[in-house]
Amino acid sequence: MNEFEQRLRQVPVKPLPPEWRAEILAAAGAVQPAPARPALQERLAVGWRSLFWPHPQAWAGLAAAWVVIALLHLSQRDEVPARSANSAPPSPETLIELRQQQQMLVELLDLRPGGDIDRPKKSGPHTQLMRALMG
Amino acid sequence: MPARTPLEQLYDEHAGALFAFLLNLTRAEADARDVLQEVFIKLAREPRRLAGIREERAFLMRLAHNAAVDLMRRREVRDRTREGFAAELTPFAPTDDPDEQLFRLELAAALGELPAEQRAVVHLKLWEGLTFEEIAAVLGLPPNTAASRYRYGLDKLRGRLRPLYEEIK
Repeated sequence: MNEFEQRLRQVPVKPLPPEWRAEILAAAGAVQPAPARPALQERLAVGWRSLFWPHPQAWAGLAAAWVVIALLHLSQRDEVPARSANSAPPSPETLIELRQQQQMLVELLDLRPGGDIDRPKKSGPHTQLMRALMG
Repeated sequence: MPARTPLEQLYDEHAGALFAFLLNLTRAEADARDVLQEVFIKLAREPRRLAGIREERAFLMRLAHNAAVDLMRRREVRDRTREGFAAELTPFAPTDDPDEQLFRLELAAALGELPAEQRAVVHLKLWEGLTFEEIAAVLGLPPNTAASRYRYGLDKLRGRLRPLYEEIK
């Protein structure tokens, strides 16, 4: 802090008027403290109770219905892999049909424009040279 | 003598400093009083506000500053000419020394010309002796902003008061 700042700092501020003390504290004293806000846990408990208390049997019935639905859902989900495991192997006719479909699919892919998925690649000049040397 | 209530203790310890800050900020004694009362009413209504507060003075300054800013915003809308009167008011104690009184009046006028945000920082730095970190916490600013506001404010005060300051030094 330099000399100028020190000089400013020495200037005393106006004192607080003494008569204000009683007036301000009286005004503050006349105010009722606001009731304490309950803690979050307590507020949640109150909210929970107000939601369930009016018709507890109805809520219990609804909860039981949900439990039954959930159990049914779980039991059905467990049956799906079991069913597929127990099913019979495909018949020879089915296998033939599947092979035909597969063959048709290969032909279709081969016919499509630019469809050269399984076509052997054209050998490059380097490969041809190697073949000539080897051969 | 009956024991003082916590609110009375707070008043006795901090009201003087709050009043000086508010007077410098609002530039009107009636406004400073209103804001001071508002702060103590808030504390009476919600005594838990002070629970766990380490720096009571800084906390109260912050409450006072926020209340003063609200009041000034309301006043600004209602009465645009208030700043004209503001420069007339001095937040400093009077003295019998005419040179010193002139200096204090000039200082009050120079402070009145500063924007309120610079005035608040200058007051807290010079007359409360707070660090920039503490000022930043009171005013809700980054410390660098508090420091730059102080420098700008001080430069303006120096520019305005230099001739008089050199003369009476």
